[in-house]
Amino acid sequence: MSTPNSGQQNDIAIYTRGVSKYFPGVQALKELDFEVRRGEVHALVGENGAGKSTLMKIIVREYLEDEGDVFIDNQNAKGMGIRDVQQLGLSLIHQELNLVPMLTVAHNICLGQEPLTRFRTIDWKRMRDKAKEFLDQISPEINLADRVQDLSIPHQQLVAIARSLTTKPRFLILDEPTARLDQKATENLFSFLANVKNKGLTVIYISHQLEEIYQICDRITVLRDGKKIITAPVNELPQGDLIRRMVGMEITQQVPKEHVPIGEVILSVRDLSPEKKGENINFELKSGEILGIVGSIGAGKSEVAHAIFGSDPKKSGTILISGRELNTRNPVEAVNAGLALIPEERKAQGLVGNESVRKNMTIASLEKRFCAARLWIKQTKEKEAVRESITTLKIATRGTEQEVQFLSGGTQQKVVLGKWLMSDSDIYLFDEPTKGIDVGGKHEIYRLIMELARQGAGIVFISNELPEVLSLCDRILVMYQGRIAKELSATTTNREEILFYVMGGKENEQDTKQSWPTDQ
Amino acid sequence: MSWVGRKMSRTQSSLGQLISNYGTILAFLVAIIFFSIATDTFFRLGNLQNIIIQSTALGLCAFGLTLVLIAGEIDFSYGGIIGLVGALLASMLQQGYSPLSATLVCLLVGGASGLLNALLVVGFNLSSFLASVAVFFLCMGAERVYSHGVTVWIQNRTMLSLVQGHIGPVPTPIVLLLGLLFVCWFLQTQTRAGQHVRAIGENIQAAREAGIRTSLVKSLVFVLAGLLFAFAGCLETLRNGGAIMYAGKQLLLFVLAASFLGTATFKAGKANFPGTLVGAFFLITLMNGFTLLGMKFYLIPLAQGLILIASVAISSIRRGEIEQVKF
Repeated sequence: MSTPNSGQQNDIAIYTRGVSKYFPGVQALKELDFEVRRGEVHALVGENGAGKSTLMKIIVREYLEDEGDVFIDNQNAKGMGIRDVQQLGLSLIHQELNLVPMLTVAHNICLGQEPLTRFRTIDWKRMRDKAKEFLDQISPEINLADRVQDLSIPHQQLVAIARSLTTKPRFLILDEPTARLDQKATENLFSFLANVKNKGLTVIYISHQLEEIYQICDRITVLRDGKKIITAPVNELPQGDLIRRMVGMEITQQVPKEHVPIGEVILSVRDLSPEKKGENINFELKSGEILGIVGSIGAGKSEVAHAIFGSDPKKSGTILISGRELNTRNPVEAVNAGLALIPEERKAQGLVGNESVRKNMTIASLEKRFCAARLWIKQTKEKEAVRESITTLKIATRGTEQEVQFLSGGTQQKVVLGKWLMSDSDIYLFDEPTKGIDVGGKHEIYRLIMELARQGAGIVFISNELPEVLSLCDRILVMYQGRIAKELSATTTNREEILFYVMGGKENEQDTKQSWPTDQ
Repeated sequence: MSWVGRKMSRTQSSLGQLISNYGTILAFLVAIIFFSIATDTFFRLGNLQNIIIQSTALGLCAFGLTLVLIAGEIDFSYGGIIGLVGALLASMLQQGYSPLSATLVCLLVGGASGLLNALLVVGFNLSSFLASVAVFFLCMGAERVYSHGVTVWIQNRTMLSLVQGHIGPVPTPIVLLLGLLFVCWFLQTQTRAGQHVRAIGENIQAAREAGIRTSLVKSLVFVLAGLLFAFAGCLETLRNGGAIMYAGKQLLLFVLAASFLGTATFKAGKANFPGTLVGAFFLITLMNGFTLLGMKFYLIPLAQGLILIASVAISSIRRGEIEQVKF
């Protein structure tokens, strides 16, 4: 690749030179050179933790680089803040939808820049006209007078995109914009992108969906472990090649899989359609088995777990636990039937922050194990059990009475684990149990999960980190857009194959499969 | 797609929507009809005027609270401000200060209390619940220090005419109340700043990203609320004819109830000015009606409580959930 001479590269919109970024214990970006040409749609791909978000946050100045330089429009961004780059015409659309639910679509688009009448009141008509101008570019069928709270999530996302256009951006960064979009809204977005490209807008497009990358992008940059692997035009980088470069060949740290006897079917999910997301989910889980579920953000993994557990409603479907139908309308029935869900957002769903380790751990099993005559708590027995858990799980706490909010993320996750281990469940649904946890903590958790399997529990392990799924699970279900796209056996598959299905690859298109090397 | 289903069920249940938006008004009308039939004295011009005059201070104070609720915060400081302002007003008039200067000092004190709230909440990131309760206590303490617990009566005719007089045929408090309702409603719904208050209350992150100066707007909200509280305090004092110790404490729960009843009126789940006024009228009407019915005074709160639960219940029955105003 040619090195641009600063100040004369008029066809380069944004570039970085030798950018490095360190976070405690990890180097997120390593001397990264990245460049985006004017008027192109540039795909940024990589596995979770490859550094995509960090790089984008540095470009929009939410983070500052530790080494190297960032140039936007040939200006060095050193010393620039978020506002400065916005004034240069840079706009980032992130995954969170920052809209005001009870205001109208028109008002949300014009929020902060409402047109005024000569009496300094809001000029509603001009506001609608102005909003229409931006909304028409992307989704004319949305009604401007509707309140945002009444819109579907895909439409809300389109409104958020229309909103970002009001600053008249010249560089647009979209972070997985289609994760929340349905088919129709995705088409809207794509025709919009095709349109703005003709007008010279530069787009950086982060995505996990192969199909759309090849449909709308001009060039692709692959990141892996904070390094740039390649930048190439899409037609020079076939799908198999792309995935191979995302995954790399390095042998990652692995936990030795302990093979335990696999028993009877204890959980069968039949034609399950969760209300939030997902269609016709079918699978069975045997005792002693660890079943992985993988898929990109928005594929519907957590939704399946919550629908099984009863914490989210389901549209249809049957759940059988050891052959008996579970009528999950609420989690209480699920817990009584021997199910445990270890949720992803442990702070919001799994822990009471300002309560002690002890109370958090025993909250789910108080009635079953520690209550005398269902009236009072047998405190000595309770404390003993908690102390035992603290030792076996190696929980770094000062004691049973420490408030959990002062514990580290990994330790908190272990408290949640401890809680469900005490409940003596038969089936455990783990939703991204290792997310945001350091390597040491992860290994502890793997060990625990394998111990549970050894004791005969059935385990559903939802994760986005393919190495851990591959080394821990017996079988792997790949979800794509709410459906199970593929079932794979962990012993015969590899990261490339999983990633292929995660990104929406179709079986018959998998021409390169045979040539894929296994890194196992 | 689940959202399609949700949207359809919304349009299908437009009657439910109507009830949930106007349930409080419905209950209010039922109460009026009931009292009109059950007593000879309720539905008379004099009594109706009386209800409105009694609702004035309550309503104005509740407007202040409503403004803060719209911004997504809460403010209890009126409980102290009303009493402090009353003590100041009565004794300043007694010492011969002009009504205008006495009122201005009162408003200044109210605004300063609001500023203190703003400083604590915006500057020091305290929860508005805690901050405003602290300011409540401060003001109550100041009132005690200042008045030594002595009731001071007001003799100034000009001032008293503010609550007892008429503008044309209409009693002055009614003009004040409806006038302020219009001003508050207009400023909040028709101006940029007013809409930004709502945006901040609904999603402060979105407001920030839209370039709204959230700290400034929030501070202004607290100061304006303080001014409204002080104004309400002046009127309450005049209506009582003097400064009675802890006048604010009597209003404390009524103001809170009026504002939150307002959230169950018109805009389901959201604080709004017209709803708050309906809430204030409703509360006073119940008290007035039950008194006319000859109900023992200690039973009135009981009856009020039951009716409030019932009226909010109709509003939320079809929604299946009461959207809580967050602090």
